[in-house]
Amino acid sequence: MTAARLTLWIVQIMLVPLLSPFFIGFTRRIKARLQNRAGATSFQPYRDMWKLLHKDEVISEDASWLFRAAPYLIFATTLVIGASIPMLSTALTNSFTGDFLVVVYLVALGTFFLALAGIDAGGGFGGFGSSREMLVAALAEGGLVLSLLTLALASRTTNLIAIAGNIGSVPLAGYAPVALAFISFFIAMLAETSRYPFDNPATHLELTMIHEAMILEYSGKRLALMEWAAANKYLIFLALGANLFFPRGIAGTLEAGPVMLALLVLLLKVGLFSAVIAVIESSIAKLRIFRLPDLLFTSFVLSVIALGLVS
Amino acid sequence: MDDVVSHTEVTPGETGAGTNAGDGLLQRQSLARKYATEAGKVEMHGRLLAFQVSEDEIVELCDGLYRQHQLPLKIITAFDERHESGFFRIMYIFGLPDEEAFLAPYILVEAAFPSLTPKLHEASIYERKIKSFFGLEPRGHPNPRPLILHENWPKGIFPLRKDFDWNTRPAEARGVFQFRKLGGEGIYEIPVGPVHAGIIEPGHFRFSVAGEEILLLEPRLGYSHKGSEKLFETLALPDKLKLAERISGDSSFSHALAFCLALEDLCGATVPERVDYLRVVFCELERLANHLGDIGAIMTDAGYNFGGAACGRLRETVMRMNEALTGSRFLRGAAWPGGSGINPAAESIRDARAAIAPLETDFSEVMTVAEQSGSLMSRLKNAGILSPAIARDHGVRGIAAKAVGLGADARADHPYAAYRKLKVNAVTEKQGDVFARFRVRIREVHQSAELLRKALDFLVGDEKAQDKPCADASPLAPAFRKNSFAAGVVEGWRGAIVYLVATDSHGAISRVDVRDPSFLNWTALGYAGQENMVPDFPLINKSFNLSYSGNDL
Repeated sequence: MTAARLTLWIVQIMLVPLLSPFFIGFTRRIKARLQNRAGATSFQPYRDMWKLLHKDEVISEDASWLFRAAPYLIFATTLVIGASIPMLSTALTNSFTGDFLVVVYLVALGTFFLALAGIDAGGGFGGFGSSREMLVAALAEGGLVLSLLTLALASRTTNLIAIAGNIGSVPLAGYAPVALAFISFFIAMLAETSRYPFDNPATHLELTMIHEAMILEYSGKRLALMEWAAANKYLIFLALGANLFFPRGIAGTLEAGPVMLALLVLLLKVGLFSAVIAVIESSIAKLRIFRLPDLLFTSFVLSVIALGLVS
Repeated sequence: MDDVVSHTEVTPGETGAGTNAGDGLLQRQSLARKYATEAGKVEMHGRLLAFQVSEDEIVELCDGLYRQHQLPLKIITAFDERHESGFFRIMYIFGLPDEEAFLAPYILVEAAFPSLTPKLHEASIYERKIKSFFGLEPRGHPNPRPLILHENWPKGIFPLRKDFDWNTRPAEARGVFQFRKLGGEGIYEIPVGPVHAGIIEPGHFRFSVAGEEILLLEPRLGYSHKGSEKLFETLALPDKLKLAERISGDSSFSHALAFCLALEDLCGATVPERVDYLRVVFCELERLANHLGDIGAIMTDAGYNFGGAACGRLRETVMRMNEALTGSRFLRGAAWPGGSGINPAAESIRDARAAIAPLETDFSEVMTVAEQSGSLMSRLKNAGILSPAIARDHGVRGIAAKAVGLGADARADHPYAAYRKLKVNAVTEKQGDVFARFRVRIREVHQSAELLRKALDFLVGDEKAQDKPCADASPLAPAFRKNSFAAGVVEGWRGAIVYLVATDSHGAISRVDVRDPSFLNWTALGYAGQENMVPDFPLINKSFNLSYSGNDL
């Protein structure tokens, strides 16, 4: 049993970084098709990262250790989070970092260092990128924490993996708060992963950027790590949304059969989420920056209502 | 309109004293008298009526023309005539909208001239340019900072003077440019460009920002200065025409046509009716392609990808129509003085005629969806509002002017080619925001489609004339009037393009001044950006979509 546990742990830790570039590419691919373009294959982000990893870096002479260390720190937080969330099996509990508050604030830790790195090099774009990121992150936090708290209360545990195991047995009447919490979570997810209508991951307009403005000073290997960490974060949120709110398919044991099936179902669910995001990004315009708080406030209010209903 | 002065009038031969048949001459002289009381001898240069004014009177005279007679200022330009007369000539060209003529008071100066700017703000930028390129000092100008030439250009070297060789390479001056500074707590500067993340032309924008709000925006241009005006003085005539096509690549045909109109006026050439209609077709295709591209680009910059992708596709169909008709996606080689550089085959004209309706239907369908998108509309409305007062004071032209309700359109005011027969009314909107500029473009797309239908119908019906050569493939060797001037005005898709061409005592072209509408509109962009959020600026900029190359020359 320990051998199976060990194997699955290794798989779980590797799963997020290995799969994440694919879903970035997959989302881009669907967007391209929706816009009458052929688009690159879904595997293009792997090639881009491979290319960047083989390139030299240019680092601003004004940059401090923070700028150099931030990519490793941020990438590391995504690895830890990847190992703390329900991916394939609920039999694999993680009582060290599996608590939802730990996960939420590990995300915040990554954002914190990302924002610092954006300011560190002293460029004008990094400065306002960081300032906007903090605005969005601070406002998104409420909806994110409270929607996960709703699930925690409904399933009587704060461990995310345990939530995924229990939430399926919530009585039917309990689905109303879960549904509200999902909407709240989805909005916060779009903000946290720098997607529409908060940020435009495809833009070349420096002045409109949030996430891209913060990493504008990076090049080569560190840029590859930053891009990879952003892809990890994207997959983490997609997987959280898929497995916490729609836990059907996740394995309850460590046996190979159900786990393989769970992997397949996870890919399907996350692919579906990516497709939904691609449709959103093709059909609406980005919001004006000072309209963003309105939307995040909506997320917060929905999660408060969900919380009120569940407790 | 054209019964007063027919465009086909020919005034060949020597300088000055017109050789027009009686009536036209009298009419024009009385016209000049009407506007310029006590003006001395009126010199007739084809459609351009020039008269000398003394330095003391020029400000008052121009102010009167501009305010009392409401004549539109077309261009202010200078000529270095020291080798012939010992003076610089500064000429102020006003349009006479109802007469298809231009009124051109001028002064002869040695080193300085009285500035019009305190009375007539639109003159500011022309006077700064004259100062930078001719070294003539505008006396009383409130902001005589150099224009286009950067701090690396040495002081005291003026490239448009005749004693400056076009291939001189001056030493680097390494000066420092001072941007306007704003003080105060929390105010910071964002320098953007001249190198941008996208593949666009170079320009620097200095934002002074509090939080996300733009307090001050200063565009700084000149990075693509190529010495085009000087080149016009040295190149052979066919190459001059190619240069005109390349002043601003997206307006190739309009620029070349404005140059051709001036040349035709200089040699008294007339063009066949068929060519007039071909010119309308090419002008409108150029407008159509650029408007479709811009409408899409505005939507893309707002993040509305559906509209961006659809309009990009529509623009491409127009570019392919261009290629089918002329062999060039940018209509290069189509403009030719006295004719048409390209005589499209009857079949491709019929194809183009058949393609208009599906294109317009397709466009309407896309825009129906786009205009129902609340998220898109909320981005476009109330962003980048340009006030009508700023627009008027800076002499803003084209789309930006139409969007604040100033309805100047050269196709209506100074009709050329077949626009004399195809009536054009300027499209106007009121709000002056990004949405108004977006709407002007949408409505002009429909207007262009209508004009194309009419012009192509004429050409299809005129198939018998198809085989008549309307292109003169032989090298150009027209006889231009000597010591003379001519202006050509064409409504490019951005706005009115003005060419002023001068000849010397041998009848050779001695100076070409080009005024792309961008030259005037760039200063207004700074005002439209103020009080907006920084992330809205790219969208505002795109809604103007000004030419860097056409400004920097």
